[in-house]
Amino acid sequence: MATEMQRQTTPEVGGMGHSVKRKEDPRFIRGAGQFIDDLVLPGMLWLDIVRSPYAHATIKSIDASEALKVPGVAAVITGADLEKAGLHWMPTLAGDKQMVLPTHTVMYQSQEVAAVVATSRYAAADGVAAVMVDYEPLEVVVDPHKALLPDAPVLRPDRAADKQNNHIWHWESGDRAAADAGLAAAEHRISEDIYIPRIHVASIETCGCVADWDAIRGQMTLHMTSQAPHVIRTVLALVSGLPEQNIRVKTHDIGGGFGGKVPVYPGYVLAVVASLTTGKPVKWIEDRSENLQADSFARDYHIHAEMGATNAGKITSLKVSTIADHGYTDAAADPSKFPAGLFNVITGSYDFPNAFVEVDGVYTNKPPGGVAYRCSFRVTEAVHAIERMVDILAHDLDIDPAKIRMDNFIQPEQMPYKTPTGWEYDSGDYPRALKLAMDMIGYDDLRKEQAEKRARGELMGIGISSFTEIVGAGPSHDFDIIGLKMFDSCEIRVHPTGKVLARIGVQTQGQGHETTFAQIIAEELGFPVADIKIEYGDTDTAPYGLGTYASRSTPVAGAATAMAARKIKEKARHLAAHLLEANPDDLVWTNGKWSVKGSPDRSKTIQEIAFAAYTNHPQGMEPGLEAVDYYDPPNLTFPFGSYICVVDIDKGTGQVTVRRFVAVDDCGNIINPMIVDGQIHGGLTMGFAPSLLESMTYDENGNNLAGTFMDYLLPTAVETPAWELGKTTTPSPHHPIGAKGVGESATVGAPPAIANAVVDALWHLGVRNIDIPLTPQKIWAILREKGVTA
Amino acid sequence: MEFSGQTTIKAPRERVFAFLIDPNLVGRCGPGVESIEVIDDRHFKAKAKVGVGFISARFVINMELAEADAPSHAVIKARGQAPGTAVDATGTMDLAPGDEPDTTVMKWGANVIISGMMASVGARMIEGTANKMIAQTFDCIRAKLEE
Repeated sequence: MATEMQRQTTPEVGGMGHSVKRKEDPRFIRGAGQFIDDLVLPGMLWLDIVRSPYAHATIKSIDASEALKVPGVAAVITGADLEKAGLHWMPTLAGDKQMVLPTHTVMYQSQEVAAVVATSRYAAADGVAAVMVDYEPLEVVVDPHKALLPDAPVLRPDRAADKQNNHIWHWESGDRAAADAGLAAAEHRISEDIYIPRIHVASIETCGCVADWDAIRGQMTLHMTSQAPHVIRTVLALVSGLPEQNIRVKTHDIGGGFGGKVPVYPGYVLAVVASLTTGKPVKWIEDRSENLQADSFARDYHIHAEMGATNAGKITSLKVSTIADHGYTDAAADPSKFPAGLFNVITGSYDFPNAFVEVDGVYTNKPPGGVAYRCSFRVTEAVHAIERMVDILAHDLDIDPAKIRMDNFIQPEQMPYKTPTGWEYDSGDYPRALKLAMDMIGYDDLRKEQAEKRARGELMGIGISSFTEIVGAGPSHDFDIIGLKMFDSCEIRVHPTGKVLARIGVQTQGQGHETTFAQIIAEELGFPVADIKIEYGDTDTAPYGLGTYASRSTPVAGAATAMAARKIKEKARHLAAHLLEANPDDLVWTNGKWSVKGSPDRSKTIQEIAFAAYTNHPQGMEPGLEAVDYYDPPNLTFPFGSYICVVDIDKGTGQVTVRRFVAVDDCGNIINPMIVDGQIHGGLTMGFAPSLLESMTYDENGNNLAGTFMDYLLPTAVETPAWELGKTTTPSPHHPIGAKGVGESATVGAPPAIANAVVDALWHLGVRNIDIPLTPQKIWAILREKGVTA
Repeated sequence: MEFSGQTTIKAPRERVFAFLIDPNLVGRCGPGVESIEVIDDRHFKAKAKVGVGFISARFVINMELAEADAPSHAVIKARGQAPGTAVDATGTMDLAPGDEPDTTVMKWGANVIISGMMASVGARMIEGTANKMIAQTFDCIRAKLEE
């Protein structure tokens, strides 16, 4: 079993626990990163996309004649052109059908309708403006509840005869009868509708690619912004018929992924088709509005939750029904078995005797939804619902929200703990994390201050969120994407001079893998981080992996890296035994050396051993020092934490100010504390954003009303509070280095802490729930309604 | 978006009606109209440059005189397109004799659906802009008839 790790290595080596400066930062700080739009190939053409103004319409005709007259325009591609090659549609990662270019019907505003290829970006845009499309508008369905009504237009008549409605799938977990019985018998019962609005990842770099077809060699190189390049290669091979060995997918530096760069977008496919057609490299780069309006979205869950409890506040039952708006096609990037992701982690940090959760996926005239935006596959939605419900229960029963949590937590001695919806939590100490957060923020004093302020008519609230995350997808018996098991990999090559090249199956889009994966190897083998180069994102060289999303890199590829390093360490032991003329069983490993037990002077450093692997290996042993590991995790990992937020609300404007925010995280053993802090800062800010600012809204005609950063509000440093971080360490018992993953904890945990704080400030006025984002407009309307402000 | 209004024009009803169903006359009052092409007596095509806030676009608009009950009632349907934007509009005009001789009371209604980029990006300004443009159109009709 992994135990809480003490630093084993010197700062010069920089193994686990050292805040090693990021190896990738010098190039970013100097503006020398190589992003997709920096790539310009000789003879390259540019591709731009004609998009639908209508959210639902029949395409009567497309007239490209004027566009083809625009100087520089080389080709216009329509759905009819693609249909001839069977490339007009593609399967989504969820196995649904997504049009590359529609042949008959557009299904959402800004959907791709045609592509123009030209000798410059400007000519391509001029060509787009000159393509005339004749549409006949159709009835638009924006609201998923209305989509389920019997008289709603059937949005996807292409589906089977028994599926001529807008219901995509039903998924459930837990025991319905037990939950119903538990609710019926409960002394106190609460029921609430909670909406988690549609949001967008809004990464700084939009999506794009350069497709480069070499007709002579029969080689397709696809430079692209992808979080999962190997999966893209396999899908491309299956869809296009090109042999997989002749497809190379290559990522460059990526300016943020957050789930938005997992799916395959039509633009990528169009660039590939355009390159195959023209024989030239073709570049496609989205502009900001295209990115916001047309790419996959996250959240959009309409949750109805019911919870039972005793009058003393002991939780007894949970039942949750959810409508999931997936837009016009189910493009969720979830594991196959889990169309609603890991939403059934909704029992959270609490010891529920029973629970039942069901989700229904629904089609609407919106872009395809269901991307895991920094949420570990729908965990954000689950955590928001359960943390809101626990808080409502506490307020209803007039029990302190901290006490009700303490009274209902799964206790550390119950670990490993089986939840009523089927997960086995590997480890966790929830009371310790909440206690630390309360101590850090001075919880009791804040409650006194709040009482004094309330007496004076001031609005102050305190909100808690004690979340449990579920990351590291995942074990092959349950987890695959389009059939590909969700293992991950690492290949390590030690060079004769004692320097290391390691290639990993996961991608990095800002996480710092070039540093942290080197630290894992430094920890295991004693090579200094400076001597280790990490490569990724080139499918010709990197071992096969499923990519970076859902906080899976450290739990899965990080484990593979440790295991590959251990294979090298074991071979090094035999090499050392040969060099030291000792029995391998008599050797001990310390600080990057194998030495003879009891004679520390008789030792060989890993660098000496590496040299010997190429110059003096024993007869009968393979020369060289390399290893590869494909890691199939035995379980997921379960990071957790407790966040406490203090808000003040301006009575005149409804403006919510986050005065303090304490975040205690437990992600198991930490590889690089500085990078973990950075992940938490970023995650908290990305949790703060949808709590107070972000929401992707549509008018009744399906027009996206948040297509620019003027309407889709992102927090800047000015709006962002000063985060106060704390940590506990509960290592994962099954992970080779006891790590758990932290990329999404804060995004998952922060929104309910903020929402709970705001409702806490307003509860005495009769406010039970407010859906995020908690905009000044929304709060002001409530204050007016309650007579607080004029 | 629904808009409606009423205006009194100092011209007899028959003349007002004749003006309204003549694309070359009524067309010049449309916002930003640059050219008009008559297809037949019920169909015509206009090109117009329209701006909402910082976005402006050149529209190609197909119009149809959908109903014409002389001299009291006319309905014009329009579908316009610009890159990334579409407009679907129905204008209804009902004419009644005014209280004064040789005057006409025109009640008008307009249903306007804007789709795409202009609706998306210009949402905050679109209702005000549309309202202004429609009012200008009917003011123009009145002014031309009273010339």
